[in-house]
Amino acid sequence: MRPQINRLPENAPKGFAGTAIDRTKPLRFRLDGRIVSGFAGDTVLSAALAAGIDTVGQHLDSPIGLTSRAHPAISHASLANDPQFALPMARTPAQDGAEFVTFGVERSRGVARLFQPGRTLGLKLDSAHPLSRPWRTIPGAADAATDLLVIGGGVAGLSAALAGARAGLTVTLVEARGFLGGHSGLFGTQEGEDAPEESMARLSAEVEGAEAITVLTATQVFSIRPGLARAHRIETAPGTSRGRVIDIAAAHIVIATGALERLPIFAGNRLPGIAGCLDAYEMATRFGVWTGQRAIVATSSNPAYRLAMLASDAGIGIGRILDARPEPASRFIAFSRAYGIVQSPGAVVASVGIARAGGLLSIHTENRHEAALVTDRLLVCGGWQPDLTLWHIAGGTSVWNAGRGRIEAQGRLDSIALAGGAAGYFTRRGCIQSGADAVDQLLGRERRAVDDPIVDPLHETPDGPIAIAQPVPEGAPTYLDAGIGLLQRPAEAGRKRRFAFWRPAPGVLTLLSEAPQALAVNEVAAGVDLKLIPVDAAGIVAQERVASVPLSVEQETSSPDTWVPIEATEIPSFLLGRYGPEARLVRIIPSEARILEAGALIFPDSDARHPHYSIGVILRHEPSGAIGLVAASAATIDYPVTVREKGQIVRAQIAALDA
Amino acid sequence: MSAAEFDFAIFGSTPMAQLLAGLLGGEHGRKVLLIGQNRAGYRLPRGIDLSVGPITRPQSWAMLPGTSAEAARLVTRIAGRSAISRVDPIFFAEDPRAVEALSHMRHMAGGFGIAAEPVGQSVLGGNRSGMVLRDAMRLNRPQLEIGLERWLTDCSVERLAPRSVAVENDGAVKIETDGGTSRAQQAVLADDEAIVAWLPLRQWPTLFQRVHHTSILTTPTRSLAAPIMLELDKGLFLTQQAEGGVAAFGPGDRSAFSEHVHGLLGQNRQVEQAGQTSYAALATKDGAPAFGRAAGQGADIVANTGCHGAFIAPSLARWLAGGASADEARWFDQHLVNRTSRQTRVDEFQWPLEGHAA
Repeated sequence: MRPQINRLPENAPKGFAGTAIDRTKPLRFRLDGRIVSGFAGDTVLSAALAAGIDTVGQHLDSPIGLTSRAHPAISHASLANDPQFALPMARTPAQDGAEFVTFGVERSRGVARLFQPGRTLGLKLDSAHPLSRPWRTIPGAADAATDLLVIGGGVAGLSAALAGARAGLTVTLVEARGFLGGHSGLFGTQEGEDAPEESMARLSAEVEGAEAITVLTATQVFSIRPGLARAHRIETAPGTSRGRVIDIAAAHIVIATGALERLPIFAGNRLPGIAGCLDAYEMATRFGVWTGQRAIVATSSNPAYRLAMLASDAGIGIGRILDARPEPASRFIAFSRAYGIVQSPGAVVASVGIARAGGLLSIHTENRHEAALVTDRLLVCGGWQPDLTLWHIAGGTSVWNAGRGRIEAQGRLDSIALAGGAAGYFTRRGCIQSGADAVDQLLGRERRAVDDPIVDPLHETPDGPIAIAQPVPEGAPTYLDAGIGLLQRPAEAGRKRRFAFWRPAPGVLTLLSEAPQALAVNEVAAGVDLKLIPVDAAGIVAQERVASVPLSVEQETSSPDTWVPIEATEIPSFLLGRYGPEARLVRIIPSEARILEAGALIFPDSDARHPHYSIGVILRHEPSGAIGLVAASAATIDYPVTVREKGQIVRAQIAALDA
Repeated sequence: MSAAEFDFAIFGSTPMAQLLAGLLGGEHGRKVLLIGQNRAGYRLPRGIDLSVGPITRPQSWAMLPGTSAEAARLVTRIAGRSAISRVDPIFFAEDPRAVEALSHMRHMAGGFGIAAEPVGQSVLGGNRSGMVLRDAMRLNRPQLEIGLERWLTDCSVERLAPRSVAVENDGAVKIETDGGTSRAQQAVLADDEAIVAWLPLRQWPTLFQRVHHTSILTTPTRSLAAPIMLELDKGLFLTQQAEGGVAAFGPGDRSAFSEHVHGLLGQNRQVEQAGQTSYAALATKDGAPAFGRAAGQGADIVANTGCHGAFIAPSLARWLAGGASADEARWFDQHLVNRTSRQTRVDEFQWPLEGHAA
C-alpha cells in the first residue's frame, strides 16, 4: 500500500488541512492494481496525488505530470473498456474497496513495468488523444427541464442561481467538482470585501437552502446550444460510482465557468512536479495534498505570491519567486517580501529538467550567469484566460484583447449569457454582481452596472504577458497548455512555415489548420502570443477549433423516403440545350440485348468518339428499354446510331418513344 | 492625401483569387490590389482545389485540360512541386437523380480522356454508387500560400486590409484603410466571402442564392475510401488530412451537417469534432459558375466555380484582361452572371438547396 506521502498534516494552517476530506474515515482502493489509501471525500485523483503518484506516463520520451487538468479516464475494473462506464479521475469519489483501472490508454507492460517508478501511472501517451474523454460520444438521456441552467458553482454561478430563483424561475446549477464555491479562495480579499471562504460558504448555503434550485455536483457540461446542454454526471452509490450523460433542456443558460490558468511556455513545462498555482491551491485547501517540501514559483500574476505565503505558513520552503514582469507591485508582493521570500523580478524560466531520480526539478532561468535552481516543485502561473469553451461551442464569438493578452467574449447569444471570470470580470465583487446581471440580461430586464473595482496599476500590477522562453534544442518538450491536448510548441525548423505546429508523432510537421485535434482556448491564446495566429483571427480560430459535440436539432433531412421518383421522360436541367432547343426524347434500341447506361454518348457512326460529335445521350434505362435525348436532326425512326459505353461500340437504332 | 490608383482590386482569400491577382499583375501588366489574407495555415478548410469537378457540360470539360495544365505549371513555379499532388477522388451518390447525374459525368469525363471508373457499393456502403477520377491534380493550399506571398510581391500586387469598401455602380471601387484611400477602376469579387461582404445589394444578381455552409474537422480515423470524396446528393466534400482527421464541408447548418457527416463516417468510428464553423456561401440557381459584371456594369463576380476554380484562373485572367482566346471568351460569355434561361443553357447538376437558405 502506498503511504500518503503528499498529505499535509491535519493541523496544517491556512486551510491547508483539506476541507473536503474526513480524516476519521480512511479508505483504500486499487488503481491499476496498486493499493492507494485516502480519506472519505477524496477523489481518485487527490488520493493518487496524496500517495505520491504524480505522473501520467511518457509522451515523446518525457514524463507528463498528473494534474486536475491532465489525467486519464478510469473505470471500475469489472467494466473496463466500455465508454459508457468511463469516469474522470478528478470527479470520481475514492471509495473503500473499489478497483479502478485507467481507461483506453496503453500501459507499459512486462519488464518495463517492473522498473517503472511508483510515482507514475505508466501510460503511453504517444497515441492520438490519449487523455480524451470517452463519454463525449455517448448520446444524452433527457433529464429534468429547467427555466434557468447555471453552469459553474463559483461565486458568479451561485449568484446567478439565486437571482434566477428570486425571479421565480426553476433553476438547475451544475458544478463539475463535488462541492460548490469555486476558486475565489486563491485570489484573496480586496478592501471592503469579506474573506473569500466566507463569501463562498454563504452563497453556497443560500443556494443549497433554496427550494427552487436543484444542485448537481460532479456534473460537467461538455456541449451546449441555445435551449439544451449535455453533461456528464457522476452518480455515486455505496461502493460504486457510475457515469451518465444527460441532456438538460433550459429556456435560459448562464455560463459561469470561470477562468483558466495559463501555462508559461518553456521546455519541460509539463514535467511531474510542475503545477499551476490554482491547482496547487485547490489540492491543498480541499484535500490537504501538497507535493514536496520545497517549491519555487514562476509567475506573471499576483495571486501566485499569495499562494507562496500560504504555503510558507504551512511549512513549505519557498525558495524564490521568479516574476516575468520587470517591476511588479502588489500587496501580496509586499507581504511576501516581509516573509523573507526571495523575489526575482524580470526573471523567466528558460527550461526545467529532472534533476535526478526521485523527482527533484532543475530550473534554469534565462539569466545565463545564474546556477540552476533545484527544488521539489515548481508552481507556475501564466495569467488567466476566461474559459470560453462552452461559449464558443454555443456559437458565441470572441476577440483578442491585446491590452490584457487574452481572448474575450464579444456580442450576445439568444438565451445564453456569460458571468464571472468567463465573462472577463476580475474581482470577486464583479463576479458576484455579474451573476445577477446575467439573469437580468436573459430576462430582458433593466441592467445595472457591474462594479468590478480593479486596483490602480500603480499599486497592483496587472498580469503580464505570458512568459515565453527561447526554444531549447535539446530538452523536454514545450507545451502550449496544461490540458489534455498535449499540443507542443512548434519546433524551430517548423517556424519557416509561419503557421506550422509539431504534432505529437515525432518528426511529423503539420499545420494548425490540419492538426486533428480540438484547440483549447489557452492553446489558441498561446498561438497568438507565439505569433502563430494573427491577432485578428484569434477569436475565429478559438471558435472554429473548440471541442464541440453536436447536439441534434430535429429537422427534415433528405432520405430515401423523401426522394421523388424520376419520371421516365424527365430531362435533367444539365442536359437542357445540350443538343439544341429542339432535342427529342426517343427510344434507343441496341442491336443486342443489353442495358445502356445513363450518360453514354450517342454518335452518328462508329468513327466518331469525341463528345463534340455526339448527337445525343442515353437519358436513362427503363424496364422497357433505353431512352435517349437526341438532336432534332437525328430523331428519325430507324436512324442507325452508335452508342459508346465502357469503351465498347454498341450499334443501335432510334425508335419512337412509345415504341 | 491623393488616392492610389489601380486597374483591378481583387477581393478574396482563395487560391483562385490570389492566382488571379498575380496573373493580372504579372503576366498582364495591370496594377493590382489584393484584399484578402492567407489563412489555410490556421483556419478550417472551406474548399478544395481539384483539376476535375462534378461537371456534365462538354464545353466545360473541353476547357479544363488546357487551363489545368497551365495552372499546374504556374503553381509549381510559384511554390514548388509540393504545392500539387495527384489524387484519385471519388464522387458518390445515393439519391437516384444524383446517381444518374454521376453516370452522365463519368461518361462525359471519359469522353475527354479522363480515366473515370465506376465504384461499387462494396467500397461505398449502403446503396451508394460512385465514380473515381484517376490522376487528378490537387493544390495543397498551405504549401501554395507560402509561395504565393513572394510571387504576389514579384508581380507587384499590393495587399491591403480595408476599413471600408465602396463599390460603385460602374464597378470602380474605393477602399479606405488606416493608411489612406485607394481606388481601382474595377472591383473583382473573387470568392463567396468577398461577394457576400462587399457586393452592393443593388447589384445583387437574381441568379444567386445564399446558403448556409458548414465545415468540420474530426479527430483521426481510419482511411476513407479515397482521400477526397464528394457526396453529390448534398454537395458535401470529405477530405482526409495528412494527420488522419477528416475535413468535411458543404451546405447545411452545423447541427444537421455534423450529424450527417458522423452518419457517413459510420457509427463504428469513434470520432470527435476537432473543429467546426458555419458561414454563408453562394450557389447559383442553375448550378453553373458565374462570371462577369454584376448588373451588367458593376463589380466583376467569380462565383460557384466549385472545386476546380483555381485551375481556370489563367483563362479567367486572360478574359478579364481582354486577351482570351475565342473558345475561352465564348465559354465565359455563356457563363455571365446576368445570363437568362433564354440564352445558351449551362445548367449543371445542382444538389438540393431547400432548407439551406442563409
